Amino acid sequence: MEIEIRRSSEWKEGFAERLEQRRPWDNWTLYQLCYEAEQAKLIPEFHGLQCPRHLPNLTAYPHQLEAAETVIERMNGKAILADEVGLGKTIEAGLILKEYLIRGVVKKALILAPASLTNQWLAELNTKFHIPAMAYNKKYNLDHCPIVVTSIDMAKRSPHREAISAQEYDLVIIDEAHKLKNPKTKNYEFVQQMKKKFCLLLTATPIQNDVFELFNLISLLKPGHLGNLETFQRVFSASKHHVEEDEFLRELIQQVMVRNSRDDTGITWTNRHVRILPAVFSADEREVYNHVSNLPVGDSFTRLTLQRELCSSPLAAVMTLEKIAKETGDPDIRHEMEQLLLKLTQSGIHAKAKMTAELIRKAGDKVIVFTEYRATQVYLQAYFHQQGITSVLFNGKFNKNKREWMKQLFQQKAQVLIATESGSEGLNLQFCHHVVNYDLPWNPMKLEQRIGRVHRLGQTEDVHIYNLAVQETVEDQMVELLEKKLGVFEQVVGELDDILTDSKRSIS
Amino acid sequence: MNEQRIHQYIRQFFEENECRVVDAGGQLTVQLTAAMDKRLMNRPYYWSYIESIGAEPRPAELTMITDPKLFSGDMPGERIHFGSPRLHQLFDVTKEQGAYVQLYEKPAAGQTAQVTLTPWLGMNCKVTYASDRTKESLYSLGMNLMNGAVIDGFQPTVRELDLTAAIPANTYYLPYIIHPNNAVGRLEDLLDRVIREDDHAWMGEAAQRRVRDLRVLDYFYADDEEVPESYESERQAIEEQYAVSVSVEVINGGLFYLHSGLVKNRSGG
Repeated sequence: MEIEIRRSSEWKEGFAERLEQRRPWDNWTLYQLCYEAEQAKLIPEFHGLQCPRHLPNLTAYPHQLEAAETVIERMNGKAILADEVGLGKTIEAGLILKEYLIRGVVKKALILAPASLTNQWLAELNTKFHIPAMAYNKKYNLDHCPIVVTSIDMAKRSPHREAISAQEYDLVIIDEAHKLKNPKTKNYEFVQQMKKKFCLLLTATPIQNDVFELFNLISLLKPGHLGNLETFQRVFSASKHHVEEDEFLRELIQQVMVRNSRDDTGITWTNRHVRILPAVFSADEREVYNHVSNLPVGDSFTRLTLQRELCSSPLAAVMTLEKIAKETGDPDIRHEMEQLLLKLTQSGIHAKAKMTAELIRKAGDKVIVFTEYRATQVYLQAYFHQQGITSVLFNGKFNKNKREWMKQLFQQKAQVLIATESGSEGLNLQFCHHVVNYDLPWNPMKLEQRIGRVHRLGQTEDVHIYNLAVQETVEDQMVELLEKKLGVFEQVVGELDDILTDSKRSIS
Repeated sequence: MNEQRIHQYIRQFFEENECRVVDAGGQLTVQLTAAMDKRLMNRPYYWSYIESIGAEPRPAELTMITDPKLFSGDMPGERIHFGSPRLHQLFDVTKEQGAYVQLYEKPAAGQTAQVTLTPWLGMNCKVTYASDRTKESLYSLGMNLMNGAVIDGFQPTVRELDLTAAIPANTYYLPYIIHPNNAVGRLEDLLDRVIREDDHAWMGEAAQRRVRDLRVLDYFYADDEEVPESYESERQAIEEQYAVSVSVEVINGGLFYLHSGLVKNRSGG
């Protein structure tokens, strides 16, 4: 093979000048320092990262090193890091950032994370990677802050937006990137217009509801990589029928996405036992539910909301019923609402609440209960208290300190944490082994995120997941829909650990 | 480079550049000279202003924190780690300032008879193989300028010797027979041979990856009657990513007048 070797004659010319004594010789110490620096910077193999040898205190898992390598060697620094929840995507992103800093190809980097996670990012980058990241502050001159961490909600607002856009970041890292799934939002637009030589999108759930969310994420990284929306739509729908199209689609996605599942990590994971537990309404509850389902008033959305609320707790439905009663001009409807409210108060303890208390007693251990409604949180806490079960609440309205305090209370004092999803991102609760999904969300990935609070690196025991659904209600349909969405996810992204029920594999 | 080594590196660098360094262990404060300020601080307007009005310049003081344990506190100073822009900048300056040497080996202590020094050319080169992946090798070659003998691992060997920039007393150095400029050319040719004889399977592998990526891309746009702009830019990006190149860069080098006999070794960089 004929190999063209590039060389520059610059050094030779300088050498000749010194020989002719036209310029002075350099100093021996600096000569040695120069050689030492070159040795330290050397990339001695095609494969492998340089940064681990500069990070003696960091122990990264093989799948994390491999992910960082793949992004740098195969993806040219534009990637979705989509490991399952709890596998350490932050570590992977930190490795990539450090590697690029060492190689000198990244000088400035911006990290956009949810506000609740910015401190965690700062701490990890500083202590684990020795990267002096700073929290964004409008008083600072960004020219002098090479590595900045802030939240996207802050960054997109004036005057921060202008200050940040004026900088040229070589690398932009976006945590919890599934929040960018909608291209019509300000957040999406903000990220889209940013100049980004390298970009990492971190999300365990690149598809939450439909495959176009993934298309949107990939378009942020590499516009045109999946063609335009129409081409993508066509190939995707064809891939449902042809294995060949399916392969191309996967191949294309693998060019920009790294995803490790727990099984891929080579780490021995504790087992995940997932069950759907059907609850049965009492006669009174059923009556109210049927009544609501046949309400002549309100749009179908209000009806659906009421149905879901009734499947959660009487308290969750009360507010909506009261609102309808107040807003309606029709005295008959108002009367009907009042009747319903009366019946609700007489319907006794909610079927799922009883079931949950039973589960908690049987577990005899720490349990997290996830609900969709803050009213249900209150309802459950009161009921658990009555039953002699200690519990604390956790939701997105709490500030950072209060969240941290609640987490500590849960770890040290209370048996149960009753949480809504919001604010639970990034929460690490490996000391807990039971998760009750008291209400089901529309989005299967929310379930995965919830389970990920518990089933993550550092978990030492088997994890039990209970998904509650009231029979012959809207929750049956939700289970069905969740299954369908999981099917799409697995077709495009890859296998997923059990979320709804123990996998088919073990059944067959 | 661990944090202690980085700390020493910075300290040595500034001391060699005649800057006053206060070492507080984990933190270094450096009073820059005017020359260093101009080189490092990126403030040309200040300097052109000072020089135009002839005012007394005040070079900056630079504080650097090298101990990661102090990073997260609010101690003022630049946080330096392997990978920080400041350290890279110092590496770059070192490269300019440590590119050429002419050195003489001192006679052993107590040596009374005159010592004869033999001229050598030392040359440190970096060879880079690049495609979508990169591999670099350092070669430290030395050529005896009397007989043309070549040794590898020159730098690690001479580093152990007692060298000085001025001709030591009681030494006599032989004038070279092979001109150093010719020696540079001969070492370059030798390196070329080494490169050509190397295994270049990596080029074929990069080409395979390129073909695979292009195939997938083409598939995606196959049915489009008109190829959109995004296709071209994607294609361009793939071509750039997989383009292969081999380059040789001389890091530094110089004339070494030595009395120690150098042994051929293959220890490499």
